[in-house]
Amino acid sequence: MKETFEANSVLGIDIGSINTRAILFDVVEDSYHFIASGVAPSTHIEPYFDIGQGVFDSILRLQETTGRMLLDNDGNLIIPSRIGGEGVDRFVVTVSCSSLIKIVTFGLLNDVSLNAVNKLAYSIFSKVVESIGINDRRPLHVQLDAVLAAEPDLILFAGGTDGGASRSIFRMSSLIANILEIMPPARRPRILYCGNAKLGKRINDGFSRLTQVKVTRNIHPTIDDEVLEPALKDLDEMVMDMQQKKLGGLDRMAPLCSTPPVHSNQGFHDVIRFLGRQYDPAKGVLAVDIGGTHSVAAYANHNFSTLHTFGYGLGTGISSIAEKSEIKNLMMWSDGSHSEEEVMDYLWQRSLYPNSIASNQSDLDLELAATRHILRLIMRDLEIRSALPTNRFEPILISGSALNRTITPEQSLLVILDGVQPLGICPLVLDKHGMLSLLGAAGRLDPLLPVQVLESTAFTNLATVINAVSSAKPGSVIMQARLVYANGSYLDAEIKQGSIISLPLASGEAGELQLKMLRRTVIEEVNIFNEPFMVRGGVCGVVIDARGRPLRLPENAEKRRELFHTWKFMLGGK
Amino acid sequence: MHAQMTHVHPLVFIRRNRTLPVPGVVTVRTGQKVSPMDIIAEVEIPTRHYLVDVYRSLGMKTPADAEKLIDRKPGDLLQKNDIIAETGGMFSRVIRTPGPGKIVSISGGRVLIEAESRKVTKTAGMSGMVTEIIEERGAVVETSGTLIQGVWGNMQNGSGGLVVQQEYVDGELLPSAIGLNVRRAVLVAGFCKSPEALQAAAAAEVSGIILGTISASIIPIAETQPYPIIVLGGFGRFGLDPFSKKVLVSSSGREVAINAVKWDRLTGERPEIIISLPSDGEPYPVEVEYESGQIVRVHASEHIGKVGTIQKIIPGLTRLPNGLRAYAAAVKFENGEMGVVPLANLDVLHMTSEFLGPTDEGG
Repeated sequence: MKETFEANSVLGIDIGSINTRAILFDVVEDSYHFIASGVAPSTHIEPYFDIGQGVFDSILRLQETTGRMLLDNDGNLIIPSRIGGEGVDRFVVTVSCSSLIKIVTFGLLNDVSLNAVNKLAYSIFSKVVESIGINDRRPLHVQLDAVLAAEPDLILFAGGTDGGASRSIFRMSSLIANILEIMPPARRPRILYCGNAKLGKRINDGFSRLTQVKVTRNIHPTIDDEVLEPALKDLDEMVMDMQQKKLGGLDRMAPLCSTPPVHSNQGFHDVIRFLGRQYDPAKGVLAVDIGGTHSVAAYANHNFSTLHTFGYGLGTGISSIAEKSEIKNLMMWSDGSHSEEEVMDYLWQRSLYPNSIASNQSDLDLELAATRHILRLIMRDLEIRSALPTNRFEPILISGSALNRTITPEQSLLVILDGVQPLGICPLVLDKHGMLSLLGAAGRLDPLLPVQVLESTAFTNLATVINAVSSAKPGSVIMQARLVYANGSYLDAEIKQGSIISLPLASGEAGELQLKMLRRTVIEEVNIFNEPFMVRGGVCGVVIDARGRPLRLPENAEKRRELFHTWKFMLGGK
Repeated sequence: MHAQMTHVHPLVFIRRNRTLPVPGVVTVRTGQKVSPMDIIAEVEIPTRHYLVDVYRSLGMKTPADAEKLIDRKPGDLLQKNDIIAETGGMFSRVIRTPGPGKIVSISGGRVLIEAESRKVTKTAGMSGMVTEIIEERGAVVETSGTLIQGVWGNMQNGSGGLVVQQEYVDGELLPSAIGLNVRRAVLVAGFCKSPEALQAAAAAEVSGIILGTISASIIPIAETQPYPIIVLGGFGRFGLDPFSKKVLVSSSGREVAINAVKWDRLTGERPEIIISLPSDGEPYPVEVEYESGQIVRVHASEHIGKVGTIQKIIPGLTRLPNGLRAYAAAVKFENGEMGVVPLANLDVLHMTSEFLGPTDEGG
């Protein structure tokens, strides 16, 4: 008989590339709540090469914060919890400190299987180092040498509808087999086959003498259907298994876990998928997490979801934006007080010491400029990958330590708006404890946990943002707004082209906003018709962003500095 | 809080694994004395191949039919135009090799020929003694001497006599520093932002350059130089820290080995300078906590590049001048100035201050 579970405290550990985070959830008055978090530097790197110390330290910090005993005298996690309240009942682990996986993708048609298998690769922290389809015009031996030179960790092999093409698949298999034969056994990449299901067994038999192979569901069972979910899950398990062998201490910790450790990406995707089903189906939820080595974006609505990973980060991943071409774009977000050389030096230095802290205003400004630029790059790449079915989101969730260690919420808000440049009306939510991926992982234990925690105050509602677009001259009035509060009082405001303003409305409080659009001003895909509509306040109130899309920044540094200052001032900054 | 460390030791015991990334042939034996550039292990990595499709070229019914016509076996060495397969008969059709090479495999009616390979070697990277063989991969090499860890390298290694010119140790490396007397020498400079200086050094056949800092804008040039460039402090113009400078100045004229790899925190491999000495050193600690008395170097933000001594670890979180809050320490810098620095921005150079004498001494 299945044992019923009464006590339900859950300890989540997220092992990131820079920090390890311990987060405690517990049931308070019949519902899950976020209790507290503890953060310590991750220790998968030198000199420890073992995640254990970082996990231990983060739990110690959590213990200090909560006063609740989680570790016994020997330093072991107390699980399940004791009658006196010590310990926890369940334990989940997410991992995002994994190293970059080099992937070679094989598919048949570029627009079908190769495109789909590349999407699969985007879901993990990876780099597609080679991609080979049947229309590849290079001679076979050149393809073979290209793959050998790329030294992949993993081959993703797709192609053919179920019961469809087989000859081309076998030809490609021969090439892959040749490649594997040449490579030393210890360096051979694993293979995930996600093509024509009828050939799965033969493919498995053929490759298993050479390397580890896993056959998953066809990602294109028919020419029109793209089914990534089962392959995503199997890919994640496969990569997790690869990482577990590399990541000291994870195999020791895994048996303690109530559900197998998952990649943070997957936990993140899980929770966004869940949220996507709760909100306006026409919009969808967008979430972005800016990490140290890489960043993740997930989008979900009622019937679609997608997960993308990018090699941009604010730790070692910052070197990806330290190239000359990117520096110029990044510098558009700085006030001109740094030379190009200084910015490059800053980024490279930061890549050496990813956990360093900007201790003066100048470096903090650079860090926030880099954060804006990374958000821009992510939005650009999502567009290039045609990843999003819409550019309207409700809500936008943002996670990442750079945005959580700003001085004011307005600063975070401005960075997010500058970086994402959303359209329409969207609430902006900050994952201040960096718990989204853990919620996804904990949701595998109890789906109620993410639901209830998301409804709590564990997240910061920054603001509901109304993004107005107009071609009017800067400074001309493009909109009149009236915010009616619950007690009947109201606040009127005139919105000028190029401005950004905040209407005070306390976090969680509802108000009615009435907008009168002037000079052909529009709010993308929203019909206002002068009807009032309900908005919820955040810590920055209700924000009307009339700066235009895309934001145009003056080339002149002095003018840019003035503009940044004005925007900050308009949002209540000094 | 566990401290981030950069080892700068005048005399310590040093033990390093020198291994190939793939299995190969180990060329040394236990007890053997080695020099920095001696090869410890080597392997041939195939880089170019031919794939001759006999099955399709001859239009055979099955790959097995094609393989019956192939009168070769894996391992055979071939010259250009050697016959791989022929149909026989009056109008025999033949398949020839497109170039010289070695047959790797024959399968599916296709012959895979290795045409080119490149040799990958692992050198000792320091003068010392082989104390252990790691089968098919390499060996463990041990020595005692000076160790200075860096933060960036251009992926080259080498060795040579250390030449310390005061003018450059405290300042910028300029092309004018590269005279005729620097051939096979290892130069030391505070910082470099001149691509011309790096190119002049290559032309003068220097054995290596040790820099306090480098301008990130010349990384692409630095990465193409044929000699090792090791950067001890990072990117910018803040130059050599006084502690490393003192150790380098006192080592002038000695043979130094530079292993200018990239810093990889996942493997622990770090760019470093090793100067083997005829004295016995003690092993150095790899884990310490931040505490008062430690010599630290600031590697980020305010006070970057400065060296000082921790006066006090400030309990709890400290509010920084820009409003952020962080765990921090009060640090007394060399010039007597005091500063509050986030612990995350500190690198412990040494555990105690006993080694930090006046830094202008000897140079």
